[in-house]
Amino acid sequence: MAIIFPSPEWLQSLFDKLNSDERYAQIARNWEGDMCVVIEPSGPLTEQHIYYLDLWHGKCRKTETLKDLFSVKSKFVLTATYENISHIMKGELDPMQAMMTRKLQVHGSMAYMMRNVPTVLDFVRCCREVTTEIL
Amino acid sequence: MQPILKVNLTTGETSEYVIPVELERDYLGGASLAARLLYPVLTRDLDPVSPESPILFLNGPLSGTAGPAVGRFVVCGKSPATGLWAESNCGGFWGPELRFCGYDGLWINGKADRPVYLWLNNRKLEVRDAAAVWGKDMYESQSIIKSEIGLPGAHVLTIGPAGENGVLFAGLYCDHGRAAGRTGLGAVAGSKNLKAIAVKGTQKIPIARPEVFAPLRSASNHFLKEDTVTQVAHELGTAGVADYADYLGGTPKKYFHQGFFEGVDKVSGSTMAETILVGVSACHACVIACGRVVRLEDGEKRKGPEYETIVGFGPNLLNDDLAAIVRLGEVCDRYGMDVISASNTIGLAYHIYEKGVITEKDTGFHLRWGDVTGAERLLHLMARREGIGNFMADGSRRFAANFGAEEEAVQVNGLEVAYHDPRGVSGMALVYATSPRGACHNKSDYFLVDWGQAETSLGLKFFERHAGAEKAANVARHQDWRSACDSLVLCLFANVPAEMVAGLVNAACGYDCSVDDLLRCGERGWNLKRAINNRMGLTRGNDKLHKALLEPLADGPVAGFAPDLESMLLAYYSARGWDPVTGRPTREKLCALGLEDVAKDLWG
Repeated sequence: MAIIFPSPEWLQSLFDKLNSDERYAQIARNWEGDMCVVIEPSGPLTEQHIYYLDLWHGKCRKTETLKDLFSVKSKFVLTATYENISHIMKGELDPMQAMMTRKLQVHGSMAYMMRNVPTVLDFVRCCREVTTEIL
Repeated sequence: MQPILKVNLTTGETSEYVIPVELERDYLGGASLAARLLYPVLTRDLDPVSPESPILFLNGPLSGTAGPAVGRFVVCGKSPATGLWAESNCGGFWGPELRFCGYDGLWINGKADRPVYLWLNNRKLEVRDAAAVWGKDMYESQSIIKSEIGLPGAHVLTIGPAGENGVLFAGLYCDHGRAAGRTGLGAVAGSKNLKAIAVKGTQKIPIARPEVFAPLRSASNHFLKEDTVTQVAHELGTAGVADYADYLGGTPKKYFHQGFFEGVDKVSGSTMAETILVGVSACHACVIACGRVVRLEDGEKRKGPEYETIVGFGPNLLNDDLAAIVRLGEVCDRYGMDVISASNTIGLAYHIYEKGVITEKDTGFHLRWGDVTGAERLLHLMARREGIGNFMADGSRRFAANFGAEEEAVQVNGLEVAYHDPRGVSGMALVYATSPRGACHNKSDYFLVDWGQAETSLGLKFFERHAGAEKAANVARHQDWRSACDSLVLCLFANVPAEMVAGLVNAACGYDCSVDDLLRCGERGWNLKRAINNRMGLTRGNDKLHKALLEPLADGPVAGFAPDLESMLLAYYSARGWDPVTGRPTREKLCALGLEDVAKDLWG
């Protein structure tokens, strides 16, 4: 079955992947923190999408699709346009390149983020591996 | 731009130099303009510490305009450490204050007959006796001079005792420890008996199209403030990248000879933020505020270390004591010594002590990796030129040569290597080998491009960080952009789109230039500095790296990899339009850049 990004099925697949991937479990074993991924409309995406993920010690405890950012105060908020995040999902844009060239905004504790860049990069790998189609 | 004030310290004569408009347009300002102005006098025979040796302080057209991280100026001349082009730029508030005086530069020649400092109050210059501050450290000197002046808002650029004593990596410092640290221009100032320059101005900086500039300035600062890289720099300082640099194998350890050191985490910017950080500091009108304010056990607030200080006195010496790094950085600052060269030279001392080249008889005490008490003692000896410190004060190349071990000094053309290992980020191999001032990481901070800061608006591509010759043209293009930034004088952390920078330049200067035009100005400056160095003796053979950087490490994240510098260089010369035999810019390249006079000098 095609897993289209973004969709509820994609989020469920990511949840399953994060809870079954041994490499992610190892790299993210010390990670404690939830995050919101905000996908701003661009191209074929006409509405903002917000995904909530509760990541804890190499597992994902919960995912949720949010209507806005007011209902949750997560440790990190990652924001990108649909176009840019699609390039990341397709492997055309390196996530660090996206962050360093203003295509991906990160809000939250930079100390925690910089100390855990390998976890973030492996999280992106998991996202890529569950994505079979882009909207 | 505003005029440059020329001062002859021997005669006391002053004059104003009006910058020709065509030079402003072709070189923008800052370092490239300085290269153009100093080109006739920077010869092979010029002794860098003679009265004839010039020292030129220059702003750029954006300096002090409250644009995105543009509160910087540059100091240029001939380096006593390398014998080549010297250039070092500096933040703080001094550069903008000079512009507020009605001058965009100070061009100093000669030698005072006694220690002096200059006091520029708007356009009124006084040469004042510096007896009260000669021998005082950088912070004390600023404080005493400000007290003597008695005018609130004055800013002081000063050398420390290291500059007075001719330490070849002495710098010039202002405000909260902001440094023009590299290439030894503090020693040039010291050789002129010039202790400091105090400035206070009340005039407006000229802007050609203020109605365009103001909203663009505001927008660019908002843009910069929201940027994630800015947030890292604001929250963690420049040392915020230490964790990631180490993860990628870009952090040198044990004087470039070890690939793994578990103590890096204890000294990173993240750890500093979580333990001793109590505040931040900013240069003029800067929204980033990457400066650190820390508090140690004594309860005093003091300047916190930058990335280079963290690595130089941390992993470089196998030290994981963050408080000790803070203190060693402060010792360097107070003496007015560049932390990269000072810590590098100390790393070399530890290295050759371990190899038995020098012994306790030479040092007077034991040196052991990880024990920083020896490092602090060496800093004092270097700054005062006492004991073995007298040799170390000449920099690592001459220090090692004095003990018959020149091949052990990790440097390029006499400038110690900054702490971004080319085995972790291969682009830095080319950067170090071809930088106009030796092994410098600021003439192109290509390690950031290798990590991902590949700006497509500049035509930059993203290559794998261990890629080879295929990234040579990319490195050259990034050098051209940074050369333009050094002309403006724009902080490297101003992570705003290049189009926005071009818009600011156009509004400030009344130009209509594109990003490509700015890159062309940068390329012109880069080639001119190369030609200056060629005239001063630099050849193709100088474009090299120390063997330690070309041999794979046995452990750590990049074990087994070393850059293939030779193939990268050949591709680089081709991309640059330089002669692969002599390493000189070709006549055609120089003429294409409007440097016909330079072409004639180089090629006849």
